[in-house]
Amino acid sequence: MLKSIIRKEILNNLLSYKFSIIIILSTILILVSIFVMYRDYWLALENYEILQMKSEGPVVVIPPTPLGIFARGLDENLCRSYGIGLSGQISVSSKQQSVNKLFKLFTAPDLLYVIKVILSLCATLFAFNIVCGEKEIGTLRQSLSCSLKRPILIIGKWIGGFSSFILPFFIAVLLGTIFVTLSPMVDMNPNNWLKLGLFLLSSMIYLAVFFSLGLLISCLTHRSSTSLVISLFVWTILVFLIPNLGNILARQFVEIPTVQQLELKLEQSWTKNRFEEHWADPSEHEKMYSRMGAENDKLTEDYRNRFNRLVKVSQNITRFSPAAAFTFLATDITGTGMAEERKLKRAVLEYLKDGDDDKGDKPVFSYRRSSIREVLGPEGLSSCLILILFNILFFVGAHVAFLRYDVR
Amino acid sequence: MLKTIITREFLNNILNLRFMIGLVLCIIVTFVCIIILAHDYQKELADYNLRVNLQDEFLRNYAYRDGLFRLIPRQKPPERFRPLIIGISGDENVESFDDNPLPILFPPFDFLFIVTIIMSLLAILFSYDAIAGERQSGTLRLVIANSISRTKILFGKFIGGAASLLIPFILSLLVGALYISVNPSIQWDGSAWAEFGLLTAASVTFITLFYLLGLMISTFSRYPATSILNCLFLWVLLILVIPNLCPHISAQLCRIPSIKETERKVKEIRSPSLEVFRELRDEAKKRLKSHYGKLWSEFESMQFGGIGDFFSKVDPKYLEAAHQRAAADPNFKAMMDAFREEVEKARKELIRIRGESDKLWYDFHAKAAFQTKLAKNLACISPLANFVYVARDLTGTGLRSLEYFEQVKDEYGNQFGLYANKKVQDAQKNDPKFTWASFLDLGDYPRLEFKEEALKDKLVEVLPYWGILVLFNVVFFVSAFAEFMRYDVR
Repeated sequence: MLKSIIRKEILNNLLSYKFSIIIILSTILILVSIFVMYRDYWLALENYEILQMKSEGPVVVIPPTPLGIFARGLDENLCRSYGIGLSGQISVSSKQQSVNKLFKLFTAPDLLYVIKVILSLCATLFAFNIVCGEKEIGTLRQSLSCSLKRPILIIGKWIGGFSSFILPFFIAVLLGTIFVTLSPMVDMNPNNWLKLGLFLLSSMIYLAVFFSLGLLISCLTHRSSTSLVISLFVWTILVFLIPNLGNILARQFVEIPTVQQLELKLEQSWTKNRFEEHWADPSEHEKMYSRMGAENDKLTEDYRNRFNRLVKVSQNITRFSPAAAFTFLATDITGTGMAEERKLKRAVLEYLKDGDDDKGDKPVFSYRRSSIREVLGPEGLSSCLILILFNILFFVGAHVAFLRYDVR
Repeated sequence: MLKTIITREFLNNILNLRFMIGLVLCIIVTFVCIIILAHDYQKELADYNLRVNLQDEFLRNYAYRDGLFRLIPRQKPPERFRPLIIGISGDENVESFDDNPLPILFPPFDFLFIVTIIMSLLAILFSYDAIAGERQSGTLRLVIANSISRTKILFGKFIGGAASLLIPFILSLLVGALYISVNPSIQWDGSAWAEFGLLTAASVTFITLFYLLGLMISTFSRYPATSILNCLFLWVLLILVIPNLCPHISAQLCRIPSIKETERKVKEIRSPSLEVFRELRDEAKKRLKSHYGKLWSEFESMQFGGIGDFFSKVDPKYLEAAHQRAAADPNFKAMMDAFREEVEKARKELIRIRGESDKLWYDFHAKAAFQTKLAKNLACISPLANFVYVARDLTGTGLRSLEYFEQVKDEYGNQFGLYANKKVQDAQKNDPKFTWASFLDLGDYPRLEFKEEALKDKLVEVLPYWGILVLFNVVFFVSAFAEFMRYDVR
């Protein structure tokens, strides 16, 4: 019986207008997104090659990851070059895209964005009338008038509905991936393939959350129009409101000066030291320098500690939304997330603070992005568990609501 | 009769679930957003004041000639609309090792987000079934069976629907405005309130645009289910896809050379320029030495009267001596003029070489400006982009305000430079032992007083984009009207 229900659901969806429009939209968007981000990756790679040319001092720069085509995250930040500035602090090169100020206004339309925002909306739209829509047209009453059990019906509807939604998504992603990997510019090693697989798996879990949410709302309402309105509002709250609000809300709990204040203090410390050094006894110079270094280190350490706390609080708040949990998980998997940024900054600090390059024999900066084991550490696992938990919560909710659903 | 239709549409909407959800969501979200952002604004203001005081104190105690270029106080105050809209960070905020990457992953939540995402979605939900829904339920046929023209029905639906849609928005804005006016840390003057009024008007234009889009799609559809799918399809394209794609498309269409590569090329051109200058000058010296002999040695002992030496300070006594000698001896004068001419030729060569590197930067910036302009114009296909330009430029939180601040900063930098130069000259006159590290009293330095750009100038900038929003409204309404005239109500 389960098989028949799944089959009916798939056929029903395949023949619906909703299916055609959502599939057209998502396929076009996925392909366009992969193509646009592939071109962006190309430019980033060119820029990396230019940055890598050693002209003066050690070059601290890492190449863009091909997985950035799918989830760019902070990759542009990560691929800037680092050096030691005039005042002894770490300087960062400008981002290539910073010259076009319009990039500051809009988000990168990568696959992560398409899945997080647009496909989650499509998943909700696929499911919003699964139960209440059938009730409205009277077929639900007929289905349940025979010996069909409600749990089997709801499970069948979930499997049939979700598989008809997810299969075209996989086909579109597959097409995009084939296009990308055929290009000689993209060097995907086995590790990257594994990571891409994990990214797609996490996308599937994420989309299942929204499908289950649509199903739950459909089981809680009796009219498609009501279900649609509620689904869209819940989607807005989960995808936009909580993640974006969490970011500014965290700043209310953690006292942190602006980065301009930190830089001003460092600059003043250096300028003051240079002034005092001129008038001081030469034997005092070394002592003065080490005092300035210690003061500056204390300032930056304090700032970095506060900043890490801010990020932690922000992550904890935003994780209440599946969209944020998915963003953290996906960017960590592709090596373009917050965890990677922290890791890279640590490596840069260690490399640049570790003596100078006067003799020119300093080893070349080498850096390896996080392995799958690192990605699936406590942070990655907690994001993954949150997504699974949301799935269970919404599906169990839908199941319970459907058991008590008045089909008349 | 129009009044009856408006009233009916209005009542129909406000008794609906979507109105209640919209009202509650709008008021809560706007109020929470303004409270958090106002608190954020207070913190930023305190941080800004602290930075200004730090610089003030530093200049009073540690100002010296060679440190001046690092000490120019040009801190940007937080935008006065910060309690409503989070401004775009300037480069100084995003090109630091310790910058905050979270806004890249999650764009900020502010008034713009409420209007562009929540209100536009709400507008579509209010209008997607305005025609198709009534046709399906059969009431449209009954209404048209009376002596009411279709024009009146459409106008009535538009006015009644838009009025009911704008109630949650205006109410939430009033709550926000009340909070801003009673908050002592937010000091808005008349022009700020005028900008707030204009921002509200622009938001209304944007919201009605999406209401009309829903109405238009509804007249093109037979069933509300089809209508909502088409509406959401267009909403996704206009709000979520087109604006985000445009900067990337423009970056592909108009390539900009790498910043690092340009820097390197500039350095390659500039570094030998000084060598070329010195070589030409030294050759001239050799030639003149062989020609003038003893007279040249005398001139040399006067450090060439400062001619051809731009980089170190020549004692004024030598300048004076050389001028006196030239006035007394025409031969000496001729030699001095010849040397000056040679140095001028070498300097011109130096400027020519450096001009080439300046040209590289000029080309780079011209291409960057073209790419930005192209992206901006491409994004105009989307109403969201037009609204964002209008709202940000009106409230001084956008790209234009960044450019404006850069301009103010540069002007102030020049003013401060003139002031500091005068101080250095005065100190040199008064103190013969003055060095690069001597303390300079800059207690009375001119303060940077940032004033918002005039509202008139802002309006001139935003009117074309606002005009596009109005045009979208007109196009959608006319299309809805044309389609409704031949709509089959059965």
